[in-house]
Amino acid sequence: MNKYAVFTGSCLSATAIEYLDQAGLLACVVLPDSDANPDLLQLQQWLEQKQITMLKYNKKDDKPLIMQLDRMGVECGVIYLFRHKIKTTLIQYFQEHLVNIHPSPLPDYRGPQPIYWQLRNGESSTKLTLHKVNEELDCGDIGCEVEIDIHPFETNKCLHQKMAQALPYLVSQFVQTEQSGGAVWRPQEQGASLKAAPQIIHSDLLVDWRQHSAREIANMARAGNTDVACALFQYRQSVFQLLQATPVECNLVGVKAGTVVQLDKNAGLVVKTDDCAVRLDIIGAQQGVFDGYRFALLFSLEPGMELCCGANYESRVI
Amino acid sequence: MDRIDGTNSKTLYDYANPEIDVLLKHSVRTQLESLLKTSISVEQRLVVLQQSFVEAMTLVLSEITAPHTQLVKTFENMYDQAVLSMAVAGLSQEQLTHQYISATGLIMSPYNCKHTIKDIYRIKGYARGLDKAIQGKLKNKPSINVLYPACGPFAPLLLPLLSYYKETQTYKPSQIQVTLVDIQPGAILTLKQLVSDLQLEEYISLIEEADASIFEPENAIDLLVLEAMQHGFTKEGQLSIAKHLVKYLSIDGWMIPQNVSVKGMMVVGETEFNQQWKTQEFSHSSNVANEAQQDRVELGEILKINKSTLLEMQELELEGGIKVIPANQIVLPKGVEDMSKRIFAVYAHIETFAQEEVGQYDSGITHPRPDNSVYIDLKPKDIEHTHFVASSGDTIQFYYQLTGLPGFVPVKL
Repeated sequence: MNKYAVFTGSCLSATAIEYLDQAGLLACVVLPDSDANPDLLQLQQWLEQKQITMLKYNKKDDKPLIMQLDRMGVECGVIYLFRHKIKTTLIQYFQEHLVNIHPSPLPDYRGPQPIYWQLRNGESSTKLTLHKVNEELDCGDIGCEVEIDIHPFETNKCLHQKMAQALPYLVSQFVQTEQSGGAVWRPQEQGASLKAAPQIIHSDLLVDWRQHSAREIANMARAGNTDVACALFQYRQSVFQLLQATPVECNLVGVKAGTVVQLDKNAGLVVKTDDCAVRLDIIGAQQGVFDGYRFALLFSLEPGMELCCGANYESRVI
Repeated sequence: MDRIDGTNSKTLYDYANPEIDVLLKHSVRTQLESLLKTSISVEQRLVVLQQSFVEAMTLVLSEITAPHTQLVKTFENMYDQAVLSMAVAGLSQEQLTHQYISATGLIMSPYNCKHTIKDIYRIKGYARGLDKAIQGKLKNKPSINVLYPACGPFAPLLLPLLSYYKETQTYKPSQIQVTLVDIQPGAILTLKQLVSDLQLEEYISLIEEADASIFEPENAIDLLVLEAMQHGFTKEGQLSIAKHLVKYLSIDGWMIPQNVSVKGMMVVGETEFNQQWKTQEFSHSSNVANEAQQDRVELGEILKINKSTLLEMQELELEGGIKVIPANQIVLPKGVEDMSKRIFAVYAHIETFAQEEVGQYDSGITHPRPDNSVYIDLKPKDIEHTHFVASSGDTIQFYYQLTGLPGFVPVKL
């Protein structure tokens, strides 16, 4: 029976590793070639305890890894949350038996940040999609997939954990299909209108009160909640994290987007947007994490004030 | 003096030891500490409160101009005492801090409004004007109705004056009947406490929790006191309130202020807002620098507000339900070399009554307000729909927007 090498750098793959291990289908785990981070260290520790063989990927030269895999007789590979684009030599080594699990309904949300962009776009469901690995990232034929609902309050981490819970089911489905004659592979749809999941850049994180709708701001906050991709807004000369926000109704006319329209202990801190308004529920500052009401009182932010004025007059003129 | 004794609830009640919200406690800690240290009785507190109000009015109504430092001290004392009444009123944090934008303007929280009573020259200009207006009205009538909408928690333009009248027995309650209106429940609670503490109940016919822009008084008004505004005649619902309530003035009724003139100017920001004040102790119309005044490029009057202009004002409704009032046109002067370096600013001059006034820089409400969305003879880097770009020589029509955040909207003709 073919055994699998699992390529991953995250504990969120533990459920799949455990399934394969218990099914006697795990050959080894290939770890990424990157600096140590808490998630990777925890994974390594767990693998050590489980006495699972660990191999190291070398992004400059994958030949030593191929030799090790060959020596172990590994012919199949599963990738999940691995940081590197797999080189052609390694793809060729597996001879079409290397699959990647991508947390999105492919062909939508190809790229390194699928979960962030799905939450940011307010998707209500997603998929874990298993596809063949080829030279083009996230573009190989699809073998199987599992649909997952997205709760409207779920954050990036919530959804990652939910995906992790569904992972063994997807892997088991795939393994069983392979064992019973092989999966039916279907090519991915191609096209320019597909939704993308590119790397997040700093400007993606800044709330633009004039451009973003209340729902978009709420989704930005949710997608980046306590993550490096946290939504940010500027007030005076400082930048604050927006960890949670909620759209609220607002019928005021002639009030600029970005203007604070309400401050109340119960109703919270409410800011006008172009379409309605958004309540800033939880705000992160260097001084701590506050609800909108307390933040406003501590940082002297009041209804009538605007949040969008950043640059000074001189810098705004030609 | 009685001793505070935990076993005697009546004795405890007799001492001014209010249970107050943590936020108000934070901002009035000093006053509260001194109050508790000296174990001041309720009776003593009321005496000090009433005295502080009378002293402030005695100074501003006197024909001898009091020194600024003396005024500051007296008004600070009045503020301290008024805040203690607010503390005794027992507002919840919700009532204290709720601030929002309504359909007609910004509704300040009682917590933020409480500072108005320290705005010396606003109160001086209004008190002196009101005093003359009341005097004028009572020459021909046995009693008058005064309406003070959006008066805030302390009704600072009238309660000190009424305290002064009571103390000096200038006018009896049968001669002046005042209606106080505010939309904030916290302001109403405080007003009731303060009126009771000042023992002015007989002067007050009604304290009503209502939106002043739709409030309908039962009796014709002889004097309408209008104050709800911020600098540049922006943000608060002053014009909506005035426009609505002016209809309830009796034929010979007066609005206080009698005239508000809002003017535009182009200034060099550094000269107007910084250099001019570097050597001055405090900002006031009597302290403006001649050099800075001469450096201004005055654009003329944008809007005049008085009883007759208010009655004639026509509202226009734009797409999206935005209501505007056409204001004046101005022509941007040609030949000003440094026009592109200047900032457009709006300022109000308030004539309360009979030459009594609140001049530019006298108060927060008359402080010139720079408007960085207006660009004359230059273009913004990233033009937005809120920017206004014009050139020297252009004619500009101003509109006043009656929305959640009222203010002027310039349009190039």
